[in-house]
Amino acid sequence: MSDAQSFLTGNGDQRQTLVVIFLRGGADGLNLVAPLEDDGYYRARPRIAISRRECVPLDGFYGLNPLLKKLEPAYKDGSLAIVHAAGSEDATRSHFEAQDLMEHAGITGGGWLGRFLRAHNTAASGPLAAVALGRAIPECLRGAPATTVLQSLDDFSLGTSGARLTQSLARLYGMQTDMLASAGRDTLAAIRRVEQLRHEKYQPANGADYGPDDFSRGLVQIARLIKARVGLQAVSLDLGGWDSHFGQGTLMDPLMTRLARGLSAFYQDLGDEMNHTTVVAMTEFGRRVEENSAFGTDHGRGSVMFVLGGGIKGGRVLGTWPGLSRDVLEGPGDLPVTTNYRNVLAPILQRHGVSEKLKQVFPDFELHPLPMYG
Amino acid sequence: MNLTRRKFLKVGGSSAALLATVGCDRLPREVRALYEPAKNSGPFAPPASEQIDAVTHALNRAAFGARPGEYERVKKQGATPDEAAAAYLDHQLSPEKIPDDETDYAVRRFETLAQPLGELFEYQEELLQNELMRGTLTRAVLSERQLFEVMVQFWSDHFNIDPSKGDAKWLKVADDREVIRRHALGKFADLLRASALSPAMLWYLDGRVNRRENRKDKPNENYARELLELHTLGVHGGYTQRDVMEVARCLTGWTVRSRNRPPYFEIGKVEFKLHQHDCDAKEVLGQKISAIPDRLNKEDRERLGQRELDRVLEIVTRHPSTAKHISTKLCRRFIADEPPAGAIEKVADAFTQSSGDIRATLRALFASEEFRRARGNKFKRPFHYIVSALRATGAKTDAGLEIIDYLRRMGHAPFNYPTPDGYPEPAAPWLGTLLWRWNFALAVSENKLKGTRIDFATLQKNSGGDDGLMAHLLGRKPTADEAQAYHESGAGLALMLASPAFQRC
Repeated sequence: MSDAQSFLTGNGDQRQTLVVIFLRGGADGLNLVAPLEDDGYYRARPRIAISRRECVPLDGFYGLNPLLKKLEPAYKDGSLAIVHAAGSEDATRSHFEAQDLMEHAGITGGGWLGRFLRAHNTAASGPLAAVALGRAIPECLRGAPATTVLQSLDDFSLGTSGARLTQSLARLYGMQTDMLASAGRDTLAAIRRVEQLRHEKYQPANGADYGPDDFSRGLVQIARLIKARVGLQAVSLDLGGWDSHFGQGTLMDPLMTRLARGLSAFYQDLGDEMNHTTVVAMTEFGRRVEENSAFGTDHGRGSVMFVLGGGIKGGRVLGTWPGLSRDVLEGPGDLPVTTNYRNVLAPILQRHGVSEKLKQVFPDFELHPLPMYG
Repeated sequence: MNLTRRKFLKVGGSSAALLATVGCDRLPREVRALYEPAKNSGPFAPPASEQIDAVTHALNRAAFGARPGEYERVKKQGATPDEAAAAYLDHQLSPEKIPDDETDYAVRRFETLAQPLGELFEYQEELLQNELMRGTLTRAVLSERQLFEVMVQFWSDHFNIDPSKGDAKWLKVADDREVIRRHALGKFADLLRASALSPAMLWYLDGRVNRRENRKDKPNENYARELLELHTLGVHGGYTQRDVMEVARCLTGWTVRSRNRPPYFEIGKVEFKLHQHDCDAKEVLGQKISAIPDRLNKEDRERLGQRELDRVLEIVTRHPSTAKHISTKLCRRFIADEPPAGAIEKVADAFTQSSGDIRATLRALFASEEFRRARGNKFKRPFHYIVSALRATGAKTDAGLEIIDYLRRMGHAPFNYPTPDGYPEPAAPWLGTLLWRWNFALAVSENKLKGTRIDFATLQKNSGGDDGLMAHLLGRKPTADEAQAYHESGAGLALMLASPAFQRC
């Protein structure tokens, strides 16, 4: 047993962290990022469209929903890229089927994030390499080498009876020099590090202003773990409730506020650490282009993806805009998907250390990675 | 006698009262099995050597660790530890001669596992997955046929299927029973053929959509590639991309009835469709397979088309790379992460000479000096760890979902590996799982797992006190440091289960 991992050696932590945010329920991409210069948008949504005046202008064609204004600085810094008309090939418009397909990345075994971690050179052997914020391991992490499910940092410990045990373990694992012993010492160090974090009052950096909701709380935990350099490689976090069949405004407005406040605080809080962090936000499908009688929208196809992170060439809305004319729309009147979500994830995974085995992460799919890094 | 759950519920209501009045020995056998305390409940002699001896070694590697008293029982089978270990391994190689009623009764509570293929679709996939995992865990903990269970796990990895794909959600249950378990200690060729025609495998590796109805159709190579790369020759086994394509062509036309496509009966049935089969000539690994002539009648053409599968499997099974590949994997499992070349050669010879007889192959492995010497150098994978902890503590367990959850967190829940290569065997990818092992050690020793109970006082008493208990758990006398830490920790049992020595096998 040689080849010891040293993921807890302070600034020796070379690992990059990928934060995957799933907007469950089918988030309306047209309401998040509106195609201001496509008249079809206003024709289809006479009552719920966002006006050109209200929108945060992005590139002359698209505008950000005013409730996402807090994302504007990251966009202007070039750290935030948006991909429009993005989504999967699943046309069932069923939440379950579409989420399942997106998380597995096709009709295949395991989740894409799980396969990514398996394919990663370092084999994700750290105790905190993969974390799911929440109550259960999401499907995208299925098959990952070891996943820590936590709602708060308290979950990463040996419990109340563990204090004395920890000392004895340190004694037994401290006496040897092989790979197992060093893994034991690393694990003990991670426990101590997290323990310290638990006792410190966390002060977000750079005046970052997180919200009081679960989404922001989750991002705070992630920020703390990243800063503590515990070897976090991939982490998943959900923001659910986007199924806006009626009263779209009442439903989506608070979620957009939470999304923007959380992400912008995270971006500010991490500061330079953002260089080795990527956040990607995705949803299982977008909504029908035309509004329905209840001021809502029904299940559709294409939506948007947000990519926030170091190294990307952001400040752009990527992807091909298909237009909204009748002949372009898919099925009952849905925005077609012009960028498969795998082509957004692929360049990110490459940056995060998996290139040759990308085919293993996304099997049965011809990849055309979106040029996000240049 | 078959004890179904309904029947059990019927007897169950009155059995507590029965117990009180008539005592255990007069109860019907199937009820007794559920109430009887774990075996080996009397005092026993734990290992007394400074280093792991051959008996503990055999129990560590060919089984999922020793239960209370098991070391002593095995040791009595020979004049020396080596002889005793040899006798044990020999016995384990004939599982059909080992009675295992307790396990059979325990597993019967998972009713879906006994359902015929077609019936499986009547169940929620989550129930099937859970019962399959719990059944597997129950058998690993309880079964007297330990080597058989170890080999079931070995082949489940070798012919890995992640049931989250398509109809495999239902069909994997049948694959486990009729492919893996039926042939785990049989002939490799039979196992391979059963796997090739397993409906779950046809789903998982897309064999069911491998067809060539006309010249334009491109066969699906997924299964063909994994057949050569993973199941038989191995990645550097001397085949080419052309061989993969030719094998895929030979296997065109085999498909399985899906629940999403008519006809909606006999779902899961495997069929050969001549019109989807490529009837032109092929060449696999240098061996020619002639075209199927148009002039023959349909039945003859069908027969010849089907026979190409057997022809391909025969070619790959007999290929020397296959013997080497299988032997390397067996040696990695039973000897060392970096298996010694000498052992691989001996085992491969046995494989070849016995025409792929799995027992004969294992017999050669266990007889090797390399196996005998390689003690305590392997890192238990999480499943092995959990099972060995439950066995060592003599836990009564319902293999409940809390335990499955630990396995899931450690990335080693049965049948949850996404890619066809199966869970990795070497230590490196598992080193991040220690925290969960330690938490499990605490939970099991403090009786905090729902449906799992240990009796610490009895275990401690029966093993002759703290020193005996440590020796039982570690398979040898504790070192001075271990003994001291045991007493200082305030949680001696948990510490031993969490110690470096207990992570090894």
